[in-house]
Amino acid sequence: MIKVQGLSKSFGKKCVLRNINLEVKDGETLVIIGSSGTGKSIMLKNIVGLIRPTSGSIFVDGTDITKCSKTELHEAQKKMGYVFQEAALFDSLTIEENVAFGLKTLTNLGENEIKKRVIDCLNMVGLKNVEHLKPSELSGGMKKRAGLARAIAYEPKYVLYDEPTTGLDPIMTDVISDLIIAMRQHLKNTSIVVTHDMKSAYKIADRIIMLYLGEVIFNGTPEEIRNTDNAIVKQFVEGSSRGPIETDRTFREME
Amino acid sequence: MTNENIEKIAKARRLARKTAKFSFGSFYSFLDGLGLAAQRTGETFFWILKGQIPIKSTISQMVEMGWRTFPIIFLTSFFTGMVLALQVGTSTANLFNEPVYVGTIVGFSLVLELGPVLTAVVVAGRIGAAITAEIGTMKVTEQLDALYTLGTNPIKYLAVPRFVACILMLPLLTAMANIIGIYGGLIITTNTWDVSSAIYWSDVLDFMEVGTFLHGFIKSFFFAGIIVSVACHKGFSTAGGAEGVGKATTSSVMTSLVLVMVSDYFLSALLMALGID
Repeated sequence: MIKVQGLSKSFGKKCVLRNINLEVKDGETLVIIGSSGTGKSIMLKNIVGLIRPTSGSIFVDGTDITKCSKTELHEAQKKMGYVFQEAALFDSLTIEENVAFGLKTLTNLGENEIKKRVIDCLNMVGLKNVEHLKPSELSGGMKKRAGLARAIAYEPKYVLYDEPTTGLDPIMTDVISDLIIAMRQHLKNTSIVVTHDMKSAYKIADRIIMLYLGEVIFNGTPEEIRNTDNAIVKQFVEGSSRGPIETDRTFREME
Repeated sequence: MTNENIEKIAKARRLARKTAKFSFGSFYSFLDGLGLAAQRTGETFFWILKGQIPIKSTISQMVEMGWRTFPIIFLTSFFTGMVLALQVGTSTANLFNEPVYVGTIVGFSLVLELGPVLTAVVVAGRIGAAITAEIGTMKVTEQLDALYTLGTNPIKYLAVPRFVACILMLPLLTAMANIIGIYGGLIITTNTWDVSSAIYWSDVLDFMEVGTFLHGFIKSFFFAGIIVSVACHKGFSTAGGAEGVGKATTSSVMTSLVLVMVSDYFLSALLMALGID
């Protein structure tokens, strides 16, 4: 289980996250929605240990990764896979080497096992005969899928997705959503997905939270969010330009 | 005092306050950057001393830094040697009616100064820029974050092989630059000044001692350390997309060049004081 307690993050005077409290139960898929600049990606990066919070705690299976030793943090990170917004595949390596990277650094598998696992993972995300290509030779959707294959290759308990469908066409978006569901069924992992795409959110989420100006303003099931009376949540879900959400500011300074 | 004057004084005060704040901010960020660079270099040494050197990556960096830089080192040092011989020959011919000590001056200039410094300049421009651009691009495209999430320390994976390769290859390139430059001088001395090659070689070698070679060699180690530390630090500190990568690369090359030139004087003075010259 991942538990976030009183998490706040500031960059200088900019307070991006404010007293966030949430729990992600094992096997659950939590979707985080919210306007651009509300701190969704920052929250994911805090959870995976890429950024240290200004205050608060993050527990991964009981270990507070904000206060633990480097070894404990490393152990906690082994349990997490991270799918980056722009895939973040290593340019200088082939797709096979990219997917095998985590297997080499985080597991004790032999060369043959790694090779087999790489092929399996690439097949799982629908990529065939791309092992020897460089990331620059793939399309946007293929890169995202390769990034997903890299993140799940070492079978992490938790998979964190940072806007996995942004910039993709509707069909590819649906393919990625199906993949996230398939990953969960196949690997029984817990997922935290940051997205703007409500169609995808409804499809994959067990629970949805909405961040607004660095705070959680909604926490409920997809059904509950559909029927909410909260004007801010309603405006975001309906994708309307009229409403209480300030559309002229995407990154607000709060002091 | 009129209202207009009061307004002007208030404006000047505001400007003075802003300027003081800006200077303090710049100084603070300079110190911050210096501390961060020292920390990263320290971490690089830590992994090297621990013996955690990625061999495959280090070898490929050595090929890139050594073999692929050699042609440009060849050209620059060869022509530097030639122009030195031409200038020295002309000057000494004007002064003494014959070109004398051409080999001595060419040899000393190259081995003590021009060899190490010119090689460092070429390496800073070619390798330093490439290191910063590569690491900087990885930073802005979240590849460094990806390394971290895959259980890999970016300093160990990226900085260590580049550091080791540069420390090993720059002195080697410097030695080659010295030899090639001296041969460039030989061609001009024998062909333009009709001085025999035996005289040229005796001029080159007669006054040189082990310390002379050591002087340039030691400096090239320090230059390598400066170039690769600056390049890696600038790469890891890159922010702001493609524009940020461009700025970081320019800053990396300029900082390296300035530090090489400044440290050249102090290192030379120190080595001379220690009797290594």
